[in-house]
Amino acid sequence: MDTHDVMLPQPANRRFAQHRVPLRVRVWNETFGYLLLVPALAIILGLNLYPTAYGIFTSFTDQSLLDPNHYQLIGLANYLKLFSDPIFQLSFAHSLELTISAVALQVFFGLILAHLLIQRVPGIQVFRSLAMVTWVLPIIAAVVIFRFFTLPNYGFFNLILTRIGLGQWSRNWFGDENFAFLMILVMHLWRNIPFYAIAFMAAMQAIPQDLYEAARIDGATRWHRLMFITLPNLRYIILVMVVLHITFTFNNFDFVYLATGGGPVTATEVLPTYIYKQAWSGYALGYASAGGVLMLIVLVILVTICRRVIGGYEAE
Amino acid sequence: MKLTHRLIVYTGLALFYLFLLGPMAWLVLSSLRTSDSIQSGRILPAISELTFYNYIEAFKLNNFLQLVTNSVFIATSVMFIVVFFGSLGAYGLSRFPLKGKQVLMLAALLPQFFPYVLVLVPFYVLMSNLGLVDTHFGLILTHTSITLPFALWMLTGYFNAIPRELDQAAAIDGCSKLAILFRILYPIALPGLVVAGFFAFVVSWGDYLFVSILSQSNATQTLPLGLQSFLQSLQVKWGLITAGTVIAIVPTILFFAVVQRRLVAGLTAGAVKS
Repeated sequence: MDTHDVMLPQPANRRFAQHRVPLRVRVWNETFGYLLLVPALAIILGLNLYPTAYGIFTSFTDQSLLDPNHYQLIGLANYLKLFSDPIFQLSFAHSLELTISAVALQVFFGLILAHLLIQRVPGIQVFRSLAMVTWVLPIIAAVVIFRFFTLPNYGFFNLILTRIGLGQWSRNWFGDENFAFLMILVMHLWRNIPFYAIAFMAAMQAIPQDLYEAARIDGATRWHRLMFITLPNLRYIILVMVVLHITFTFNNFDFVYLATGGGPVTATEVLPTYIYKQAWSGYALGYASAGGVLMLIVLVILVTICRRVIGGYEAE
Repeated sequence: MKLTHRLIVYTGLALFYLFLLGPMAWLVLSSLRTSDSIQSGRILPAISELTFYNYIEAFKLNNFLQLVTNSVFIATSVMFIVVFFGSLGAYGLSRFPLKGKQVLMLAALLPQFFPYVLVLVPFYVLMSNLGLVDTHFGLILTHTSITLPFALWMLTGYFNAIPRELDQAAAIDGCSKLAILFRILYPIALPGLVVAGFFAFVVSWGDYLFVSILSQSNATQTLPLGLQSFLQSLQVKWGLITAGTVIAIVPTILFFAVVQRRLVAGLTAGAVKS
């Protein structure tokens, strides 16, 4: 091989160095690349983009699950009806409240836990490896765990409250109109805080130590170091986690549906559960789709605001 | 100074992990108690009260074994299909001069952000037109479509980080294009493949929403649906419900134990790359 290369005439050698591959080979190369992508793109686009486009179309019709093949275009009627639907408005408010409070608290506690996990104390590796265990469980398992933990008469939480003399506080936490929403929030925190913490921890470890050394020499306090070194360096990962979890929380159906079904009454009703019920119990496919489209729009707005506020992209 | 520092760190960690692991420990403990023992109102049972009775009973429930089999079959299939097609696509995106690469990647990732409830109705219609409602294949296809975007994105990042000199060397040695993927990239990107597979497995294993729409008989129901119906129908039999839940948790935890070191690097790889 080597000797053959050396013996090649000069011009051919130069052409080789310039990566002038014959056209036929180049076309085949590119075609092959596209071919590799065909199965994945067919599945992703065929099963996601097409239904989404069709869902947007459905939102302008009066399609019903009872007779899905006969429907009429009714323009924006579904949207107008949504705006005057009090339960839709309530679900909308709940969804926003849940998403914003969950994500804000997750970032806050995620940072604290990450800060604890980067400390080099004996046994820290055990804590690190256990951290994300709540994240991998099926959501139904998280729901069973929390409903069981807070059962009225023999759930651990209520038993402890009674033991320490706060028996009047013990209650059916998921069945109480004032606390059910809080329980949904707590489950979101429980599942996702460790994911934030581990991601933040990885990013913190990547911050060069001499930045901290220099700051210390300049007399920066712990607070200053946090505000002017740690947080700015975490901007990008914070943005990624926030966008990911706004989407997850805002779109999440399982937690509410499985834990409370939106109840008691409508105390925990959120957009995904309300829309689901409109489609599958109310048979109003067009109406439900309009709700879904509004969710998509709100989501885009939320994500855009986050990018503006945190602005990690520009910093990179 | 050092001692107080450690004390503060351990106290903080103890608070967090009590919150994270406490409820899980209570579930596992209760699954080993009889319903009488659970309802006695005592927090800690006597050692002699512990029993595997609930686990034995759970497997005797008419369709429990079927639920486990369905879950294992569907999640495992999804895992392999996602890793296979995901790595093929990622290989294309990473190693071939494709026009509109950015657009393709964005189009592939975008669906990840759509509200599932919007997709659900047309999805059901599509599946019923294809005759895939209430079939294993329909569920596998569905779960593949929702987990593939992430796998494609992540594996592209992984492959991009592998030096091209390796495949060029292999090509000179006469390795075909596909052989480069399977013989050269697969072994090096193994941790990434495992994380992509793990993610697909966990999502499929835990999915409730799509299964609730597409599964209409015991033949295709998975564990999350089964647990949900236990929750509704076995109201007081918490012993059985907790045991069933522990059984549903164990596979994901075992799998997690294997991949845990690489999980975060993998999950954030796509993010960090872009």
